[in-house]
Amino acid sequence: MASDSQPQAPVGPEYRPATQKPKATVSTPLPHDNVHILPQTPQLIALLTMIRDTNTGRADFIFYSNRIIRLLVEEGLNHLPVVEHEITTPVGRNYAGVKFEGKICGVSIMRAGESMEQGLRDCCRSVRIGKILIQRDEETSKPKLYYDKLPEDIADRWVLLLDPMLATGGSALMAIDVLKSRGVPEEHILFLNLIASPEGAKKFADRFPKVRVVTAFVDQGLDEKNYIVPGLGDFGDRFYTM
Amino acid sequence: MAMTTPTRRIHYSPPWGNASIIGVAGSSGSGKTSLALAIVASLNLPWVVILSMDSFYKPLTPAQSAAAFRNEFDFDSPDAIDFDVLVDRLRDVKNGKVADIPVYSFQKHARLEQTTTIYSPHVLILEGIFALHDQRVLDMLDLKIFAEADADLCLSRRLVRDVKERGRDIDGCIKQWFGFVKPNFSKYVAPQREIADIIIPRGIENKVAIAMISSQIQKTLQHKSAQHQLELTRLGKIAEDSPLSPNAIIIKQTNQVKAIHTLLMDETTSTEDYIFYFDRMVALLIETAVDFLPFTPSQVTTPQGHVYMGLKKTAEISAVVVLRGGSAFETGLRRTIPDCRIGRILIQTNYRTGEPELHYRALPANIKQCGLVLVLDPQMSSGGAALMAVKVLVDHGVPEDRIVFVTYMAGRVGVNRVLRVFPEARCVVARMGDDMENRWVETRYLGC
Repeated sequence: MASDSQPQAPVGPEYRPATQKPKATVSTPLPHDNVHILPQTPQLIALLTMIRDTNTGRADFIFYSNRIIRLLVEEGLNHLPVVEHEITTPVGRNYAGVKFEGKICGVSIMRAGESMEQGLRDCCRSVRIGKILIQRDEETSKPKLYYDKLPEDIADRWVLLLDPMLATGGSALMAIDVLKSRGVPEEHILFLNLIASPEGAKKFADRFPKVRVVTAFVDQGLDEKNYIVPGLGDFGDRFYTM
Repeated sequence: MAMTTPTRRIHYSPPWGNASIIGVAGSSGSGKTSLALAIVASLNLPWVVILSMDSFYKPLTPAQSAAAFRNEFDFDSPDAIDFDVLVDRLRDVKNGKVADIPVYSFQKHARLEQTTTIYSPHVLILEGIFALHDQRVLDMLDLKIFAEADADLCLSRRLVRDVKERGRDIDGCIKQWFGFVKPNFSKYVAPQREIADIIIPRGIENKVAIAMISSQIQKTLQHKSAQHQLELTRLGKIAEDSPLSPNAIIIKQTNQVKAIHTLLMDETTSTEDYIFYFDRMVALLIETAVDFLPFTPSQVTTPQGHVYMGLKKTAEISAVVVLRGGSAFETGLRRTIPDCRIGRILIQTNYRTGEPELHYRALPANIKQCGLVLVLDPQMSSGGAALMAVKVLVDHGVPEDRIVFVTYMAGRVGVNRVLRVFPEARCVVARMGDDMENRWVETRYLGC
């Protein structure tokens, strides 16, 4: 069975006693420095359990995905730089705070990536969102760029690249090529996804070691059809059409 | 491993902790109810309630009920009153617990299914012909009053009331009066005068007596308020001396969190931005707090037929908003749990004394069964209101370890005050601030 080879661990925050940590399958650990996996809290595992379950209806699927996406966006945004910023509080004190620095934009890989736009907007109201359509060429079975529409000044922005599933990484790697060709430095790209395969993550680490990959969970691997195991099926279908 | 239960628990007595009970006895029709109402009206405070002993009539057997409809049942004997239940309920009130009061129907001569609830009175006025009859009740009374009235006046008042309000006829009422009320008066009611502290003639016309009693109650309330503030000060001293409780969880101060703090604290931030960033912060706080839900392993199958060993929650979450500030949490809460049941508690700080006061409460019906109850208040300074809110939940049967207090900003003393009294409860905080700070967080959010 798929779950056998993945690590099972008691899940819960460190302040919780071991007896109150139920056991569940947790993310596969990876050696790559550029891959950031969300803390495996019971809440996150429960959300992932909901969206993996084939019996979960579309309304729940969308709602619970959105909750995970917001956590991913919050984690992703934490990689952006801040500068010191001192302000006066309503009670008249000085507070040595920080403020966001630099402009950002989202880029979704159509169509599944577009499902993550709402979550991004929940955290960054007026963020610009570019789109890239990449499809697998039936003849060569290689990904092919069909369409892109990106902000003019994208080279000056930090880019949050959105695609919920990182399987072989074919389209995401091509999307990075597109971004780089528009002058976005690798280290200004954050790739957000819900579930990643170790194979896909490794390809990113090898080809674009400065691109940060933020994921909620690294699964066991890929099957013969290059689907993530155990995965959750086709994210775009479940979100949009099923 | 982190310690979850500090060993020493500190006792906290809320202002309703040791309620004063005043008994008002007197003949039927002597004006006990009007007297009690006049006292409450002259005080005009939400913490004084009247409990009528009529609620404690024993349910009648079919034979007794038939006799009652023929006006041949003796309602004016102490035997008709369920003193055991009355004593239990008075004990609940005295101990600051929730007391479910039976509802008696005079039309049906039966106890109804529903009950009413008495909770958190500082003073309770018990009125009934036998309010000073049972020794167990007498032991709990702080003041014993006997209302005296002329017998003719009593009879005429009783006639009017029973015909108008209780659906009886004149013949039946007169039969009751001479068959039961009058003989019982000399046998059981009159002797209560001997143990009364005060005998009040002429009922509500007696303005002097009402003024005396209400000033006596005022004194009691002031004393309780002073006691409560001493209690809070004492808890504050204990809290000041201890390090931050391990059950206080401060969310990770990431760059984003720090930048949002800066925006929220900056007076020049627009209201629009303030609300947006506050909602975002609340969503983070709620995601942290809901991790305290109990989970159990759950195996699911994916659309591709693969198996995943995950988790599922085993109980529902509900929330209690501490008004009015807590309502600023609702948007962020609904983003995470759209169908969350939300109770409300209004605690106001008395601007003259600085004492927090409980004015209103409406809690979810199933709150006892919830796996987690979030108490929401954006700012905690002295912890007095927080302490009171958690105490209300505990009094309503919510296990302490299922309570998580969620706040944007708190001081160490406030947090410790709450967590020393309720060491199994948890507190989730976005930012530790000064111990005493004006409540600006909700003012900024609500715009006034």
